[in-house]
Amino acid sequence: MTKTQFMAALGARLSRLPSEDVAKTLEYYGEMIDDRMEEGLSELEAVAAMGEMDEIVKNAIAEMPLVHLVVERIKPKRALRVFEIVLLVLGSPIWLSIAISLFAVFLSVYISLWAVLVSLYAAVFGGLVGGVVGGLGGAVLFVIKGSMPSAILMLGGAFCCFGLFTVLGIYLNKLPVWVVHLSKRFLRFVKSLFVRGGGAA
Amino acid sequence: MDIQLKRGLLDVCVLATIRDEDSYGYQMIKDMKPFVEISESTLYPILRRLESAELLAVYTQEHNGRLRKYYHITEAGRARLVAFAEEWREINSIYQFVTRGGEVK
Repeated sequence: MTKTQFMAALGARLSRLPSEDVAKTLEYYGEMIDDRMEEGLSELEAVAAMGEMDEIVKNAIAEMPLVHLVVERIKPKRALRVFEIVLLVLGSPIWLSIAISLFAVFLSVYISLWAVLVSLYAAVFGGLVGGVVGGLGGAVLFVIKGSMPSAILMLGGAFCCFGLFTVLGIYLNKLPVWVVHLSKRFLRFVKSLFVRGGGAA
Repeated sequence: MDIQLKRGLLDVCVLATIRDEDSYGYQMIKDMKPFVEISESTLYPILRRLESAELLAVYTQEHNGRLRKYYHITEAGRARLVAFAEEWREINSIYQFVTRGGEVK
């Protein structure tokens, strides 16, 4: 594509984003193309060197805060007429509750991810402490009662719990990294919804 | 290379290109070439991130009849480089220990 075509295409893809961010992005890529042409590349080569449009759009929204994207989307693009304002106010129970539920869904995805992690940790820790303490306690009780075989059984049980849950705990420590990774992917996905033609999440 | 490690290194690498003198986008990519291949689209979010973290400053200057953005490292940016060098001094001494006596098999 020519530089003009490239800039137009990029501008179109980013058209729903905050105008300041769009302008900065276009300036950046325009400058990059010009610099390459100055080095001796042809216009077509310079544009091609910028890479895939999907990649460019994805990277452009990566550092834009989600709040900016949302605000830009809902900002009225022109002065609202009186009846539009009245409709907005009257209809607020509807759109406001929808907006709140959308936000709640977004939030609950995050919470669910982390809640699962927390419950797993709780279960493992509980198993560890409960098993060990229970086993040791039972062993002590049986020793007091004079029933050695039962005491040894309980002691064995305590050791088993200790071993089992320690190993599980070690594997569990790999999960938080994975959860963080999933959260980031989810955020990128939500951001890409604000971009025209998809942001190639 | 671990992807998280790479992201942190790219930030520092970009700051290093403007450590001694101000530079502009394409020149920075060329300067980083011997160390890491970075595309325009990868560099862009890094520059935005560094700018909002105030580790670098941006100004515009005329060049050959058009406007070009130049990047200047801030004091905070310099401090980041110093911190990086410190971390890696420690890492390097451990590396020396791991590979003492030659290649690790």
